[in-house]
Amino acid sequence: MMHIKNLTKRYEQKTVVDDVSFQIPKGKVISLIGPNGAGKSTVMGMISRLVARDEGLIEFEGKDLKHWKSRELAKRLAILTQSSNIQMKLTVRELVCFGRFPYSGNNLNEEDYKIVDKAISYMELEEFQDRFIDELSGGQRQRAYIAMVIAQDTEYVLLDEPTNNLDIYHATNMMKMVRRLCDELGKTVILVLHEINYAAFYSDYICAFKNGKVAKFGTVDEVITKENLSEIYGVDFEIQTVEGRPLCLYY
Amino acid sequence: MTSVVKKSNNRKLAILALFTVLVSVGYLVVAVDPKYLSFAMSLRVPRLVVMLVVAFCIGSASIVFQSIINNNIVTPCLLGMNSLYTLIHTAVVFFLGSGSIIATNANLAFVVDLVLMGFAATVLYSYIFKKTRHNVLYVLLVGTILTSFFGSIQSTLTRVMDPNEYDNLLSTLVASFTRVNSGILLVAILLMVAVVIWLRRDLALLDVITLGKAQAINLGVDYDRTIRRLLLGVTLFIAIATAMVGPVSFMGLIVANLARQLFKTYRHTYLITGAGFIGMVILVGGQLIVEHVYTYAVPISVFITVGGGIYFLYLLMRQGKG
Repeated sequence: MMHIKNLTKRYEQKTVVDDVSFQIPKGKVISLIGPNGAGKSTVMGMISRLVARDEGLIEFEGKDLKHWKSRELAKRLAILTQSSNIQMKLTVRELVCFGRFPYSGNNLNEEDYKIVDKAISYMELEEFQDRFIDELSGGQRQRAYIAMVIAQDTEYVLLDEPTNNLDIYHATNMMKMVRRLCDELGKTVILVLHEINYAAFYSDYICAFKNGKVAKFGTVDEVITKENLSEIYGVDFEIQTVEGRPLCLYY
Repeated sequence: MTSVVKKSNNRKLAILALFTVLVSVGYLVVAVDPKYLSFAMSLRVPRLVVMLVVAFCIGSASIVFQSIINNNIVTPCLLGMNSLYTLIHTAVVFFLGSGSIIATNANLAFVVDLVLMGFAATVLYSYIFKKTRHNVLYVLLVGTILTSFFGSIQSTLTRVMDPNEYDNLLSTLVASFTRVNSGILLVAILLMVAVVIWLRRDLALLDVITLGKAQAINLGVDYDRTIRRLLLGVTLFIAIATAMVGPVSFMGLIVANLARQLFKTYRHTYLITGAGFIGMVILVGGQLIVEHVYTYAVPISVFITVGGGIYFLYLLMRQGKG
């Protein structure tokens, strides 16, 4: 269980995240949405301890993130950001092996290698496993990073704009993968999304931001309504229902 | 790492070690008159050890520095230790005269260098690093500015200096392996061992740090703290090497990149030992040529600077293409 209480972040005088509080239910997919500059990525950054917070608490399993040991937290909480440029020549398999670092450091044991193999086959990366990361296409690289997160074997997975720079095919596969992480592997997935329809179709809960504040938080049906979205984004919306899920139209 | 790559890297390491032993033995025995063997050894052994120690210092510090900055064409030269060293020595000669005890007594000069550079390393860089919210690039920028700042003061001092004093000074400003005594050597080695022991946990995190800040944090590295400690270690290593023999850290660029080219791996165990051995081969081999082919007419730093410069251009051009 993750409790976010009164989270605030300021840059100089400008408050980008303003007294944000919400709870992240376990075993669900939660999407953070909102217009540019609404503060969703900053909130994500603070939850994933990449951005320092000015005020507030992030309670994870009853203890503030600050009081966790980094190593221990790495076994419970995985982070995947969009900017991942590696200077090193690294193969897919070596990258996935890094997922076991919080457990075994630089010397992996039999058990770790088994988990790595499973992660690689789960992401169907067997044929690429000895290829170098920088020789892969964008979609394959994403899968390699997801395999690493799977090898890391955490209950929580945080994804910052995972569909960025991916075409429709790869982005949709990515979202299906997010669903599988939750449904098959029982993980809690928290992600920042720009594409509202992906959020509406693949998540359980949605947290919508506006001007650094939580504008709406709730299940998909509660948040994705014509009135809410028009207010948050300042654009006219039409909502239709496809496969029992809301589909947003905007133009 | 696949076992094939691992085997080939182990072999490369063994070959490098063999080369190091060969040049070291060569350095000790070339042109030795058997009659004066023990006298020759008493001169050459300490010199050899100094070179090996300095090579390891520079090689390992450069690899670690590059991995922290996440850039393969930076060298710890950019931290300004070389120019600080030149400034200290110039200032001593300028204000106290070349006859002063700090200038003539090697032990004292070493202690003064080490204390001042160590002070700069611990206080200045740790402070800047904290102040700039743990941004290594700022540290790099400040280092570059300090380099020219120290350099400007130094050149101003030399311009108004007595030419005879300047002549005396010049000999201490180029790297030399001949003026180190065994006492200094022992202190330097002890300090290095202490730094390595102090940083042993952080060094094990280097592989993960090369994945970038976000990934390192994801995998449970206390990033800012680790980088701060490693940066301090690098600066101290460079300070130790420079205080011993003078400005040589430019060699780091060549050594580190050769190691990275040779061992195509992210594993720092290989990179650091490899860089150490390559540095030893270059330094001892170079000194061998300087002593016996050029009979001391040209200091080794000239070779290192010329070779390093050409290699640096090559690296830049290759990067531009790729």
